[in-house]
Amino acid sequence: MRAFSLLAALAVSATASLAATVQYDFSVEWVQANPDGAYDRSFIGVNGAWPPPPIECNIHDRVIINVTNNLGNEPTAIHFHGLFMNGTNSMDGPVWVTQCPVPSGSNIIYNFTVDQPGTYWYHSHFSGQYPDGFRAPFIVYDRDEPFADAYDVDTYLTVSDYYHNSIPWLSANKFLILTNPTGAEPIPDAGLFNDSQNIKFKVEPNKTYKIRIINMGALVSQYVWFEDHDFQIVEVDGIYVEPAEASMIYITVAQRYTILLTTKNSTDKNYPMVTSFDTDMMDTLPDDLVWNVTGWLTYDENGEFPEPALIDEYDFYDDFNLVPYEKEEPYEPDYSITVDVSMQNLGDGVNYAFFNDLTYVAPNVPTLYTVMSSGNDSTDATVYGSNTHTYVLGYQEVVEIVLNNFDPGKHPFHLHGHVFQVVERSDASPDDETFLTYNPDEPGTINEYPMRRDTVYVRPNGYFVLRFLSNNPGVWFFHCHIEWHLQQGLALTLVEAPAEIQAQQVIPDDHYAACKAGGYAYEGNAAGNTVNLFDLTGEKLQPKPLPAGFTARGIVALVFSCISAFVGMGFITWYGLSDLKTTEREVAAIVGEPLDDSDESK
Amino acid sequence: MANSEYFDVSVFFILFRETLEASIIISVLLAFLAQGIGNADGDLAVYRKLVRQVWFGSLLGFSICLVVGGICIDAWYRFGKDVWSASEDIWEGVFCIIAGLIISYMGLAMLRLNKMKGKWRQKIANALAETDGRTTISSFSSKYAMAILPFVTVLRESVEAIVFIGGVTLSASPKAVPLSALAGILCGSAVGYSIYQGGNHMRIQIFLIISTCFLYLVAAGLMSRAVWYFENYNWSQLVGGDVAEVGSGPGSYDIRKSVWHVNCCNPLFDGGWMIFNALFGWQNSGTYGSVLMYNLYWVAVIIAVCLMLYKEKHGHFCVFNKYKTVAADEIDMTLPRSVAGARASEGPEAGAIGPSSSRYNDPNPYGLGSSSSHLLSDVEDNEVGPSSAATSLDVDRESLRSSTDAADDCDPLGISSGTVLSAN
Repeated sequence: MRAFSLLAALAVSATASLAATVQYDFSVEWVQANPDGAYDRSFIGVNGAWPPPPIECNIHDRVIINVTNNLGNEPTAIHFHGLFMNGTNSMDGPVWVTQCPVPSGSNIIYNFTVDQPGTYWYHSHFSGQYPDGFRAPFIVYDRDEPFADAYDVDTYLTVSDYYHNSIPWLSANKFLILTNPTGAEPIPDAGLFNDSQNIKFKVEPNKTYKIRIINMGALVSQYVWFEDHDFQIVEVDGIYVEPAEASMIYITVAQRYTILLTTKNSTDKNYPMVTSFDTDMMDTLPDDLVWNVTGWLTYDENGEFPEPALIDEYDFYDDFNLVPYEKEEPYEPDYSITVDVSMQNLGDGVNYAFFNDLTYVAPNVPTLYTVMSSGNDSTDATVYGSNTHTYVLGYQEVVEIVLNNFDPGKHPFHLHGHVFQVVERSDASPDDETFLTYNPDEPGTINEYPMRRDTVYVRPNGYFVLRFLSNNPGVWFFHCHIEWHLQQGLALTLVEAPAEIQAQQVIPDDHYAACKAGGYAYEGNAAGNTVNLFDLTGEKLQPKPLPAGFTARGIVALVFSCISAFVGMGFITWYGLSDLKTTEREVAAIVGEPLDDSDESK
Repeated sequence: MANSEYFDVSVFFILFRETLEASIIISVLLAFLAQGIGNADGDLAVYRKLVRQVWFGSLLGFSICLVVGGICIDAWYRFGKDVWSASEDIWEGVFCIIAGLIISYMGLAMLRLNKMKGKWRQKIANALAETDGRTTISSFSSKYAMAILPFVTVLRESVEAIVFIGGVTLSASPKAVPLSALAGILCGSAVGYSIYQGGNHMRIQIFLIISTCFLYLVAAGLMSRAVWYFENYNWSQLVGGDVAEVGSGPGSYDIRKSVWHVNCCNPLFDGGWMIFNALFGWQNSGTYGSVLMYNLYWVAVIIAVCLMLYKEKHGHFCVFNKYKTVAADEIDMTLPRSVAGARASEGPEAGAIGPSSSRYNDPNPYGLGSSSSHLLSDVEDNEVGPSSAATSLDVDRESLRSSTDAADDCDPLGISSGTVLSAN
């Protein structure tokens, strides 16, 4: 820790004089595009273009983004994925967590300094807008990076899944509906490389390329490899790591890997580079889905562009074993949160995602604004609502998140405002019926210097343990970055050091103005109650659970059925006995004729 | 009585019912032989020969049916199932309805044991009378009448059983067929035997009532399940094939139509639920449709019972004719004698005969004795002495004529027999 602080202090003093202000004006608009050549659709673009421009700056720069919502039909917002926003929590951007949605025609300014180097991205954190196009890289250059002399060219490569239909349409018609009781995520229609396909990634021989790979997709993780080219992983999620030799990476949505790739000596041949969906994450594999996207390391533009060779297995580098360049031993936790992930159906028949027994439902007032307007009550999680699943964290404590996955899927979890140590991560359980859960008394593998990043996946029915220092006062969202699962409510809220937020931070007027313009509440508790903060009347809640077994209705139906069965059998008995009576009556009239037939003719 | 992998109540009852019918005719035949010649001195050899004929015919029919049935069921499961699997729920539903209707059709008639017996006596008499008329044409059929009749009957009942089982077992596991079939055959034979022995009529009747109640419980469950299957099909169409994936948990049913839902793993219900489910044929997920169907089915049964009692009392269905069930038709076949008698008595020429007792006033209402005399006189040509029959049986040729004529004319309402009677 001491070493880190010292380094950071040095870095600040060395570059403070170079800090600049980088300004962007974004007009957010609908733009027609056709990235996979198969389907023309509307995307959320910026300044009349799609894809939106990458934001680039140097470390310690101030970045000001003036966003005007010109969509005309829906609000928006921007989240800067991976940036700590230390002291400027309101610039983080998740809607209902740190700000209101910015209604169409309104304006919001994001103004913050960037004190982290590396590869990030920005995207809308509202209503499934980022898979509808509103996402792009955010790159922070750092002259003092440890491998500054090891490469010639600095570039980036984005991978993404891609839907032909809009996300809100899919949610309303295919996903969050009664007739999708398993919560099967819509299957992407295609994959993209740099928001395109069949890209020719021009390279020169015998040079080293620093390639920042970002998965900006909504659902699937991707395997990425460059045929016949091994590489070194040198940064993940903004954390420099000891160079690690690899031939393939496995990158979940929202993760970033920066690699150093050295090209061949000759220009004889072009080499396919492939990004391939993790098909385990898809409910079905439609026949017409092409889940591999190919591009080429293009040494010779006039040369051949061969088909990629088939591979036997996905032999990717396990990020758990990466060692951060700035080494920290595992923290000892002061405060531990344990959450169990599951997918369940609620009373409306829709499949929701749960941390323990709560599925996230956004509050009426952005949680940060509740912090700002709740005075001393801000340390009581109650004011943040029953369904925001809020934990209030102290300042400068080591917080541990233990996540047990009771779902047979992989989930990439992302924590805003922090990187965390991935202290433990289990394998997948051997089958669907068993679950591996964290037991502190029997720890699994713990690396000497745990990997740190801001997005990490948990394996099917497995678990992970994350630890971080609560040194960044703010309201931070912790959620599955699969957009579908976020819509299903797989999220919780961490209110970190609320007293310090109140003391040190100010919400800019234009942020409140967005609330006013949209008619959203921006004061009081989660329900918007400003008088009695513990009165949550009117808050949004998750649907009621499915009726358990027999309810009154079921009992009534059952009793009636039993009654009619017994009455019916009564009638049958009556009918049956009347056979006897008829016989007896008739026989009685016959002189000397006994009842039974066998006797009858004797 | 529980449906399980190895036992199916429907199969059991179908076999029970068909065996009962077959055993009734055998027992009637045997009883008749015993009365006719079994107690006559010196004819023991003939008697044994005839008894052997009866058993030989029955067993031959049964063996053929076993072979045919085995082949049918095997072929059915080998080739048939695949055809349905595509839209299984629809077929399950259709077959549940078929099975439910078959059981409903058979059930109430089983309670008219006397009528069933009467019917068979009638048929036997007819057959024998026919034989009588064709002595010159076919000496084979007359010679082996005692074998042909049970043979044909057993074969017919067996084929009926196979057809019914084919319909019913589509919703059951093939493994369930042998055990339930065996149990049904044993129970049917046992009841048939007790009828032959002339055991306690009351006890048999109560046994029949209880088993009929179970039969209708099963049928109600089947009808309700049919609706459930249709709804489930509709749901799986909406969901798109994911229903199988979720087992019986959330998502396996349409919450909008659910009256209750119990997950399979719920320990509260597991033990008791199994029996409940098996007896009543209900699903762990009650839907409005299936619950309604269950209750409406019972209402229909009650109405049917009322109508049939009404008809037995008054001889017709009045304005409710169109509501009469198939089971009532079954009774039609057995009723004509009394109905005919009643009708005839109501007629101007036959005021002397009381409506309710006409059948029993006739000392030999089914003409069994007389037909046997015919048989025996035929048999006489085949080395059976004519005297034995004449001495041991009341011969009422008029009664024989009335019954055989009625049957020969294929007149189920017995109008012609009434005519004959009144002509007397």
